[in-house]
Amino acid sequence: MLRFILRRLLLVIPSLAGLLVLTFFLIRVVPADPAAALAGENASPAQIAEIRRQYGLDQPLYVQFAVYLGQVARLDFGESAYSRRPVALDIKLRLPATLELTLSALLFATLLGIPLGTIAAVHHNRWPDTLLRILSVGGVAIATFWFAIELQLLFAMKLDWLPLRGRLSPGLAAPPTLTGFYLVDSLVAGRLDAFRDALRHLALPAFTLSLGGLATIARFTRAGVLETLQKDFVTYERAQGFPPRALIWKFVLRNSVVAAITQIGLLFGGLIAGAVVVETIFDWPGIGFYTVQAILTADYKVMLAVTLLIGVVYALVNILVDVVHGLIDPRLREQD
Amino acid sequence: MSMWKRIAGAAFAAGVLALAVPADAAQPGVLVSGDNLPANVDPHQIFDVPMQLYSLNTYDNLYRYQGNPPKLEPWLAQSHTVSPDGLTWEFKLRPGAKFHDGSEIAADDVVYSFKRVLALGKAPSGAFKPVLKPENVTASDNSTVRFVLDKPYAPFLAAIPIVAVVNPRVVKANEVNNDWGSAWLASNGAGSGAYTLDAATYRPLERADLKKFDGHFLGWGDNPKAPRQIQILPTRETSTRVLALLQGSVDLTDSYLPTDQVERIQKSKGVHIEKNTSMRVFILRMNNKKPPFDNLNARKCFAHAFNYDGFIKEILKGYAERNPAPMPNNLWGYPKDIAGYDYDLKKAKAFCDQAKAEGAPIGRAIQIHTQSQLEQTNQAAQLFQSDLAQVGVNLKIVSDTWANITTNTAKAESTPDLWIHWVSTYFVDPENWVGQMYDSQFHGTWKASAWYQNARVDELLRKARVTVSQSERQPLYEEATRLIVADSPDIWVYNTVEIRGVTDRVKGFRFSPVGSGGEMRWVQLE
Repeated sequence: MLRFILRRLLLVIPSLAGLLVLTFFLIRVVPADPAAALAGENASPAQIAEIRRQYGLDQPLYVQFAVYLGQVARLDFGESAYSRRPVALDIKLRLPATLELTLSALLFATLLGIPLGTIAAVHHNRWPDTLLRILSVGGVAIATFWFAIELQLLFAMKLDWLPLRGRLSPGLAAPPTLTGFYLVDSLVAGRLDAFRDALRHLALPAFTLSLGGLATIARFTRAGVLETLQKDFVTYERAQGFPPRALIWKFVLRNSVVAAITQIGLLFGGLIAGAVVVETIFDWPGIGFYTVQAILTADYKVMLAVTLLIGVVYALVNILVDVVHGLIDPRLREQD
Repeated sequence: MSMWKRIAGAAFAAGVLALAVPADAAQPGVLVSGDNLPANVDPHQIFDVPMQLYSLNTYDNLYRYQGNPPKLEPWLAQSHTVSPDGLTWEFKLRPGAKFHDGSEIAADDVVYSFKRVLALGKAPSGAFKPVLKPENVTASDNSTVRFVLDKPYAPFLAAIPIVAVVNPRVVKANEVNNDWGSAWLASNGAGSGAYTLDAATYRPLERADLKKFDGHFLGWGDNPKAPRQIQILPTRETSTRVLALLQGSVDLTDSYLPTDQVERIQKSKGVHIEKNTSMRVFILRMNNKKPPFDNLNARKCFAHAFNYDGFIKEILKGYAERNPAPMPNNLWGYPKDIAGYDYDLKKAKAFCDQAKAEGAPIGRAIQIHTQSQLEQTNQAAQLFQSDLAQVGVNLKIVSDTWANITTNTAKAESTPDLWIHWVSTYFVDPENWVGQMYDSQFHGTWKASAWYQNARVDELLRKARVTVSQSERQPLYEEATRLIVADSPDIWVYNTVEIRGVTDRVKGFRFSPVGSGGEMRWVQLE
């Protein structure tokens, strides 16, 4: 197993190196001049030239790239041209918020999607199956921004149950930072008030974000279970008089969820991208909005750091998915 | 299994009950603003509308604009004098004004602030750099600041409120590598304004808590119900912004509220609209160096093809005033008799035909660049596209960003054929609009991106810039504006009416076009 994980980790290195080169050059060929953006609205051409010199933007691209590589090796992502704070600090403050949101959405989608898919397959072509098919097509087709606004209107405005926006109520102090995940940090600190408040704030955005993933996981689980149900071993177990419920949830499901779990890894990338919209609507203080601002203002150091970081997280999640695959299906480990 | 089912059911019900309690209500004494924050909070690094909101509350200036139309009033300075040649300006400070740390504001502190602005060389220095050397800002005594300009510059006084006075003792203590404390002040406060930043809770672009400064030089006798705290929590999405206002979790929206939301707010209880005529002109720029826009008849064709009334009445629901010239119609120097161009497709067609006969390539695909995140620029482009199609012009809409467009306006070749933007009130002087937009010495800046050139206009604008008396400057700007409008270098659409949603517990809201009503010193919370 350890060899399996190490091999997966080694494969990540060339991917990340490629990402590093690609993002650096792609961002630098975009026509927006970071120096002009930095100088501000009323700057003269002379001011812009001075800023270009100050930030080393007048150097040849390969020199700038070499400097950048040296910085990345030291985990120094430089300073945001706008907030004037270390990019690493800004990311440290925001990334946990996005990860808490996306992981909650993913967890919700998985915990609900797998049983729903299984139930649909077991009741193939009957009403639970039809209902799930309608819901799963809807889940993928519904526009996130529309759904988010409808949820806000119902739960925050009409029923007045859940907060409209933000990550914590304005009057409430955040729990001491340990992981940056408010749910975890508040429990560790014994702050049940903060835990409850954080959970209430998380409910609507996480549910909105989970919708597409939930539909996808349910559909893949359904397909997997349907296929497994045709296998000889299932017929054999049935003939042996094995209790049907135990057969489905213990044996059939384990042999069916590999495809659904592969989807979870792929979905994670989509969720991070989708978080941009959800964070914007719910004023969630995560990395999504920060990145959009960086793009609009040509804050290239932030763009580089965030792209690289999301690449690393995406790679790690996919390694995790591979490991889970290996655990579920020992044949995969042996093939490796 | 049934026991597990029951446990799961009970847990679910408990979860729903625990979560489903009424949402947050407004907190007494705390004003929550959903307006935007600047990218960082150093008033010497950034100068835009969000920074005006922040710095008008946390810093003071020598003079400050108040009211609408904005009037320049003594603030940290009691008075000023100017030499007859317009070169030497002296400002006498008011005694007893204090910074947030309790130290008294002296002339040296003002000198340091101007030197810092000039040394950093960012946006706020733009108005001063061409005429003021750092060594020519001096303290004549403890309460007098003297500026000696390199050449006469009439808008100098109008630009004085751009510079926020910072506390050098606090800033210098946080300098790193001679950076003038710029990394530190980007996330901290060092001012004397009516409110002070709580740096511990500050998050760039996301949250700034401002606490009432009891020692402010104006005192609080006139406003016993002032909020003890202002929380700026920018709302990013229009729908969320309006919902938060209706719910009462936000007291003020920003001033860019779309007009379709106005009726919704007006119909709701507990909230109202603050509507104010501003000085923010909406303009479609034409690149006068690129054919067909180097042809006067082609430019006139485009000017007659924009449906001004339709745009203002239908799309903006009347929340704007037609402004047919580059300057806001409520500013001195605006020629009151100017008619501008009307929407008339027959005239447009005739001008386009004339231009074609003169060899202008009217038939080529023409691009208009919009600012993707500002919906109004897209709406204007779409309306223009449909009208131009009727006179045989093929207009292509290109969605773009501010950073990208303003980079491209550095050169005539890379400046878009057409693009859309507003010119806000950076300082209240015709120089802010007509001066910097149409004097050819500003070519290469986004404001002068029409690449317009007229020797007589250059002469008039340059003369107005060095003439100190407003009564002598006024006819110069009026004549320059008439000539510019006759040349039709751009399409001037409207002067903005700013619309802000406000909860009814907020009283005493005051609007000034400078800062777009962001100064909270006068607000009372019921």
